[in-house]
Amino acid sequence: MSKTVTGTIERQGFGPGTWALASDDGQTYELKNAPAELRQAGVKATVTGEIRDDVMSLAMIGPVLEVRSFELN
Amino acid sequence: MKKLLVLCLFIFGLFFALSNFQGLATQGTFDSIVLDFKESVPETEIAAEIEAIAKQYNVSPRLNSEFSRSDNLYIVKGDKNLLKNLKKSGLAKETEYIEPNYLYRALEVPNDPNYNQQWNLRSVNIEQAWDDTKGSGITVAVIDTGISQVPDLKQTEFVKGYDFVNDKVDAIDDNGHGTHVAGTVAQSTNNGYGVAGIAYEANLMPLKVLSAEGSGTISDIAEAIKFAADNKADVINMSLGGGGESQLMQEAINYANQKGVVVIAAAGNSNENSASYPARYPNVIGVSAIDATGEKAFYSNFGAGVDISAPGGSTKDNKTGGILQETIDYQTGQPIFDYYQGTSMASPHVAGVAALVKASGVNEPQEVLQVLKQSARKVQEDPLNHFGAGHLDAAAAVKLALKGQISFRDFFRWLRDNGYLNLRFWIDGGAVALLPKVLMVIGSYLLAWFLRNYFPFAWSWSLTGGLVAGSSGLFFLRGIYIFDLPQWPFRVAGSSIPELGNIVQGSSVLNPLFASVLIPGVLVVLLLGHPTWKWFAIGSALGVASCLAVSAVLSPAVWGLGDGTWARLFLIANALLCYGIARLAAKPSEQIA
Repeated sequence: MSKTVTGTIERQGFGPGTWALASDDGQTYELKNAPAELRQAGVKATVTGEIRDDVMSLAMIGPVLEVRSFELN
Repeated sequence: MKKLLVLCLFIFGLFFALSNFQGLATQGTFDSIVLDFKESVPETEIAAEIEAIAKQYNVSPRLNSEFSRSDNLYIVKGDKNLLKNLKKSGLAKETEYIEPNYLYRALEVPNDPNYNQQWNLRSVNIEQAWDDTKGSGITVAVIDTGISQVPDLKQTEFVKGYDFVNDKVDAIDDNGHGTHVAGTVAQSTNNGYGVAGIAYEANLMPLKVLSAEGSGTISDIAEAIKFAADNKADVINMSLGGGGESQLMQEAINYANQKGVVVIAAAGNSNENSASYPARYPNVIGVSAIDATGEKAFYSNFGAGVDISAPGGSTKDNKTGGILQETIDYQTGQPIFDYYQGTSMASPHVAGVAALVKASGVNEPQEVLQVLKQSARKVQEDPLNHFGAGHLDAAAAVKLALKGQISFRDFFRWLRDNGYLNLRFWIDGGAVALLPKVLMVIGSYLLAWFLRNYFPFAWSWSLTGGLVAGSSGLFFLRGIYIFDLPQWPFRVAGSSIPELGNIVQGSSVLNPLFASVLIPGVLVVLLLGHPTWKWFAIGSALGVASCLAVSAVLSPAVWGLGDGTWARLFLIANALLCYGIARLAAKPSEQIA
C-alpha cells in the first residue's frame, strides 16, 4: 500500500532509538530504510513509501513506512 | 527392576535428606561470638576475663547493648577459630554459653552494585519471590534482535536458539534491544557485577527476528514461535509489535499455547486505545507499561488486549526513570549499561515472573495467566484499562503459585518457621526426641515424591493429611501440658497411626497390631473407591512406611518381639508392604485392569 506523508522527522527513544515521521495530521510513522538525509531530527519532509503490514518492530510507535522516495521541505 | 530402582532411590533420598537436614541446622554465617557470663561471677572477675581475652586474641569485647549489663552478655568480633579457642579455654566454666552470633538476613538482596538503581525490580516485589524460586529449570525464549553475551550475562544459562534474519544458529544481537530485554529476564545476579534480572536461574533461548534497524517480518516471527515451542521453551517474550492481523501468526501462537508455552507480548508504544499485534491475539498476555510512580507510561497503549501492567519506565524527563540493564552500544557493539523505556521493557518483567510461576509448579498457560492476574496489585480507578488486572507482583504470584502444592521447600519452611531449624531449639529445648518424628515426616514426603515420578498425581490436602497421620501425627502437640487437663488427648493427636496402640498408656514399645500394614491396608481397601479419601489412605500408607522404617533403625522396640533383629525385620517387612499397597493404590485404575 503506497502512501505519501508530510511531517517532521523525530528520533524516538525506544530501544537504541528509532527514526519516526510525525505527520501533520497527528499520526506517527516508523521509518524503515530511512536514508541519511532523513536521519536528522527536526527536518520537515514529504515521504512516499509503502506501509508494511507484514512487519513488526521493537519501537511499536505506529505503522511502518518503508521509504521509496522523499522530498525535503 | 523399576521397583528396585524406586526403592534404592528412596533409601538414597532419605539419607540425602537427613544429611542435608542436619546441615541446615548448622549452616549460617557469623562474624561475631556471643559470651554470656554466669550471673554468679562477680563483675570484677568478668572485667578481668574480658581484658585477658582482649589481650590474648587482640579483640575488643563489648556489651551487646546497654540492656545486656545485667545479663553479662558480651559480643566479640571473631570467626570459627576464635570460637573454638574460647570454648576450649577456661572461660567456658564461667559462662553460660559461648556461641556464634548468627547473622539473620530477612530477604535476598543481591550484591550487584547497581541494583539500587533498579526501582523496577523493587516495584514488582522481586526479593520476596527469590526466597522461593529464581526460575531454575525454566527456559524463556526471547524473540527479538538476538542476544549478545555481555559480561553481565556470563553466568546466565543459554540454550540453542536461531537467527531467522540471517539464517544461522548464532543469534547475536546487532541492535541492543534483545540483549536489554534478555537482561530484565535473566541478567546474571548475585555476581558482584552490574545489575540484576528477574528469573536469573532460568535458561535463555535467543531467537533473532528483528534486523539491526529493529524490524522484522511476521513470517520470521511466526517461525520463531514454532521453533521455541518445538525446542521446549516454557515462556516466550515478544517485545515487538505492529502490522495487521495474520492467520500465520495466530496459528503459531495457538500451536505454542497447546504445547503449554506461555506467550507474552508488549502492548505497544503509540499511546493508543488497544494493544497492537501480537499482544491483542487470544492466548497472548498483553503487557502495558508503568513508570516509576506507578502511572501509565506516557507512550504505553492501553484498553483492549492489556492483561497486566509492569514497569517500562520513562526516560523523557530523566534517564534514570528508565529500565537499567547491560546491553550493547548500537554504534560500537561494545557492552554498556543503558536505561531503556518502552512496553518492550515491561513485557520481560512479566515473562520473568511467568518463569518463576512455572518454576513453582503451575504449568498450563491459562493457569499461569490466572496466577499473574489474581496476584497483581489492583488499581482502584482504572476506567480506560491502563493496567489490566493491575501492577505485576512477583512475590504474590509465586506465593499464589505455591499455595496448595506441598513441596520440600514448604516443608522446610514450616520446620524453620516453627523453630525446628534453630540450633538452640534442639540443644536447649530438650527436643532431641523429636528428631525421629521429623525423619518420619521427611521420609513419608520422599516416598510420596518418588511415587509421583511413576504415577503423576497432584498433591492434595487429603494426601498430606494421610502422610502426617501415618508418619508422625501432629507431634508438636505432645509437648503441650495444660493444668488440670489430661495429657493423653495431646499424646493421641501427636501420634502416628503405628503409635496409637501404645501411646494412651504412655509406653514407647510399639504395638505390633498398630505398627504394621494392617491399618493402612484396611484404609486403602475401604477408601479406594472415593476420589479424595483414597489419597488419604495412600498418604497414610506411605507415612506408616516411613514411620516403621525410621523406627526399625532408631528404636525397634515391638511388644512381644523385643528390640533386636526380629523386631527390626518385622518393622522393615511391614514398611515394604505399606509402600507396596500405596504403589498399587496410586496406580491409575486402567493400569490395574
